[in-house]
Amino acid sequence: MAKTKRRSVLKLAGGAAAASMGGMAAILATGRMPAFAQQRTVHWLKWVDFVPATDALLKKEMMPEAEKALGIKINLETVNGNDLQPRITAGIQSGSGADLIMSFNSYTHLYANSVVDVGELAEEVGKREGGLFPYARAICSNGKIFMGMPWAVIGGMIAYRKSWFDEIGVSKFPDTWDSYRETAKKLKAKGRPFGQTLGHTFGDAPGFSYPYLWSWGGKEIDASGKVVLNSKETVESVKFMTGLWKDGMDEGGLAWDDTNNNRAFLSQTISATLNGASIYIETLRKPDQYKTEKGVQMSKDILHAPLPKGPAGQFGFHLLQSNMLMKYSKNQDAAKAFLKWIHTEANYRKFFESQKGFATPCTAKWESDKLWDVDPVMTPYKVAARLGQAIGNAGPPDAKAQEVLSKYIITDMYAKAVQGMPAEDAVKWAEAELKKVYV
Amino acid sequence: MIEGALWRRWVFYNIPLILFVFVLLFPFYWMIVTTFRPDGELYLPWNAPNYMPFWTNNPTLEHILYLFEETNFMRWMVNTMFIALVSTLISLFCGVLAGYALARLNFPYAGGLGTAIFITYLVPQTLLFIPLAEIIRNFRLGDTPWSLILTYPTFLIPFCTWLMMGYFKAIPKELEECARIDGASRWKAMVYIIIPVAVPGILSSGIIAFTLSWNEFIYALVFLSSPDQKTVPVGVTSELIRGDVFFWGPLMAGALLGSIPVAIVYSFFVEHYVSGLTGSVKG
Amino acid sequence: MAVTALSAAESKRLSPRLRKLEDERWLAMALLAPTAILLGLFIAYPFFEGVLLSLSSARVGDPGHFVGLKNFHKIWDDSIFRTTVWNTFWYTGVTTVFKLALGLWLAILLNRHFKGKAIIRAFILLPFIIPTVLSTFAWKWMFDPTFSVINWTLFQLGFITTRINWLGDPDLAMTSIIVINIWRGVPFFAITLLAGLQTISPELHEAAAIDGARPWQRFWHVTWPLLMPVTLVVVLFSVIQTFADFQLVYVMTGGGPANATHLFATYAYQLGIGTGLLSEGAAISLAMFPFLFIIVVVQLLYIRRVETR
Repeated sequence: MAKTKRRSVLKLAGGAAAASMGGMAAILATGRMPAFAQQRTVHWLKWVDFVPATDALLKKEMMPEAEKALGIKINLETVNGNDLQPRITAGIQSGSGADLIMSFNSYTHLYANSVVDVGELAEEVGKREGGLFPYARAICSNGKIFMGMPWAVIGGMIAYRKSWFDEIGVSKFPDTWDSYRETAKKLKAKGRPFGQTLGHTFGDAPGFSYPYLWSWGGKEIDASGKVVLNSKETVESVKFMTGLWKDGMDEGGLAWDDTNNNRAFLSQTISATLNGASIYIETLRKPDQYKTEKGVQMSKDILHAPLPKGPAGQFGFHLLQSNMLMKYSKNQDAAKAFLKWIHTEANYRKFFESQKGFATPCTAKWESDKLWDVDPVMTPYKVAARLGQAIGNAGPPDAKAQEVLSKYIITDMYAKAVQGMPAEDAVKWAEAELKKVYV
Repeated sequence: MIEGALWRRWVFYNIPLILFVFVLLFPFYWMIVTTFRPDGELYLPWNAPNYMPFWTNNPTLEHILYLFEETNFMRWMVNTMFIALVSTLISLFCGVLAGYALARLNFPYAGGLGTAIFITYLVPQTLLFIPLAEIIRNFRLGDTPWSLILTYPTFLIPFCTWLMMGYFKAIPKELEECARIDGASRWKAMVYIIIPVAVPGILSSGIIAFTLSWNEFIYALVFLSSPDQKTVPVGVTSELIRGDVFFWGPLMAGALLGSIPVAIVYSFFVEHYVSGLTGSVKG
Repeated sequence: MAVTALSAAESKRLSPRLRKLEDERWLAMALLAPTAILLGLFIAYPFFEGVLLSLSSARVGDPGHFVGLKNFHKIWDDSIFRTTVWNTFWYTGVTTVFKLALGLWLAILLNRHFKGKAIIRAFILLPFIIPTVLSTFAWKWMFDPTFSVINWTLFQLGFITTRINWLGDPDLAMTSIIVINIWRGVPFFAITLLAGLQTISPELHEAAAIDGARPWQRFWHVTWPLLMPVTLVVVLFSVIQTFADFQLVYVMTGGGPANATHLFATYAYQLGIGTGLLSEGAAISLAMFPFLFIIVVVQLLYIRRVETR
């Protein structure tokens, strides 16, 4: 027994020795994964679509079609949206990773040094499709190059329960913050609060906090780049938020990510929430699983409305998605060919229709598409790309604005106030943080 | 048995013990129940009526099936096993040799080196992960299992060395002296006499190293990106969050199934694990 | 080392002592070489690189240039960083105290003979064995804002009428992660302290009992001092691990709500990898080191003092 143990120990030891000391070169040579050595491959990294049907369509139908049409292999990978940025950083840092990576908002500006110019394709598609919206242009281009190929805008609207609103006598969704707060208060008293996240998540939290700030007249910076966040208007907005939160919101919202409000709404614990259209689309997907307390299909009880007006107007911050072609990619030509392929009208339309209005394309001609008339519940979303206001108000949506967004400074300003910090202090804190970014 | 003593035993010993065991094991029970619970029962709010959280009458395999069909879960298991095994072997090799050298040989700087190895334990992975990402890139190891196989030993070796030192110190010198007197060289004495005697120590280090490898997260998170390269902890965290609707079922299934290999391996080596743990502390 | 005795004996019969020492030295070098290479390459070298990185203005895709201590000034002024420092110390301190107390209690409970002891001992180590990320997910589900089973239980028992906001309230969020860390660490403390307890000979307790000492006094004057060496080492290991913790917070709260649960590691990750500000992330990671170093040195000195007593 001892002999075999000794021998096996020695063998193991020898083997391991060879592995660890047999030369780094040997390890490096063998360690490289020869996964796609044979033909050109394009690795596209995108978020996990909030409309599952689209990812299924892409993976099962469109990618195989593209592979046949272009003679390349396509590796479509989806990750949780919150993990896109770390993946981008890890990819750039390690010099290897996906060839095409989806970008949210102004990541394009943040990573401008590490991407390839896709302006040629962007302009071509824009011309062909009635013009590229300024919103998309501001985010995807820095005047010199196009850092990302505009993909779509995810509109954010408030989804609300029509029957519950009718019950308290509200037939149209409130369009001022005061009436919004009143309605929320009444519904919260009945155990049906509104729900909003103020957590560190890429979609719903900024989608609410930024346009909320702007509607009160608050701005991050002025046109010259000076931080003007600490203003009377901003403090007003913070004070109102604190009251609104206590009166009408589900207080668990501080810990929510982008999925919690969906689940809360679908399990009928909240009555209204700002979201992409995924809540409604999910009820359409499984109409018999989601029923209201009265046994009616929930899909028939949902309507959408834009965020209310504030003293300075009505705003919406809609997530813009684009695809960046990374400089480290060894398959740039294949990737460009793929992008061109997927943006041909026939192919892009397939994507657009599977989204059922969840995503709004970045070029003008899609706004008048008949898809928007199919379901009147979804019609409000069609203007998302045209009317979106970009971050970095009133300056450009550049890398600094993105840094502010990635650090959740605006969202945290409200979160801190809601948790008890006096409004002026919360605003001062946010101002100081902004000043560090906009040096 | 006297009445008083029995009462005493229950109140002071058995009941607290039962409470401890319950609290320590409940989350695993929760994992199991959630894994087999259908979606419809899963998302009932905390104050819904007719809600029976601790048991389900309609167990389902849909979450486990989802896990295997829609994700690369099997691949992650294989990856993690491979990485854990090879890192453990490398660390054992280095740790046994280093432990022997520090425990039995007399050479200058022995004390200093021992301290140096201990100091590296002070440098946690969370301190090094950013510069290491750069180094991994320079060696072109990014997104391969070797990025982990070569870096895991950095926290496994100090532990193994530490542990083996304790075991080697406990082996009487006479054993070696006899071999030497019979003409064996130091090397031979070490390989044929000492190491076999220290096998329990090696097994202990090995099992602890194995569980520590499975438990590592941040290096795997930062160095690996493709879905088919990921380890189980990273895969479960990043790929089982699909869309902004329901996912807790497959997530718990992933957590449960991901825990099973470690639990099984551990169950074969419990004694070694415990003595390793306690040995490391006494060393 | 007793090897000198051997050398002296050998030197009479075998080659000159000088050659033996050479042999030993060479052998020692050979044995330590693999370790030295791996640790040098993947700890010392990155540490050095990390220091350089923290002194530069690097961000992702841009190597930057040398800026001296600017990053450290910046994080010192950063209120989020200050919160992080406080969080980490609080987290480490509270969890260690509780892990020690509860672990010791559990060890004492296990330090007797009863049926099923081996099985129980094996099972209670599970929280420590199972990959942290996986068991943390189970807890995250248990604490979920809308669906928490803990809330359900408390509600059924009549203790609460409105929901407890475990992960949304900053203090409760910190409490939640502390609870999970304690849950995970108690088995480690319990098993190692149990081994320590088992080395204390029962005669000592009997002698003390005969002298009239009550259980508490026996514990304080007999058990505790003898347990001290083991305790200190266990605490040392645990403090290092907890101070540098990442996985638990990353999964449970991501550092939120509003940075209330950020630790050094999670904040470094968010800044360095999440936002791409590599140099600042490196600075935050490195900021851990002086604190760790002081804690460890203090504890080591204490251990040395206790051992020489």
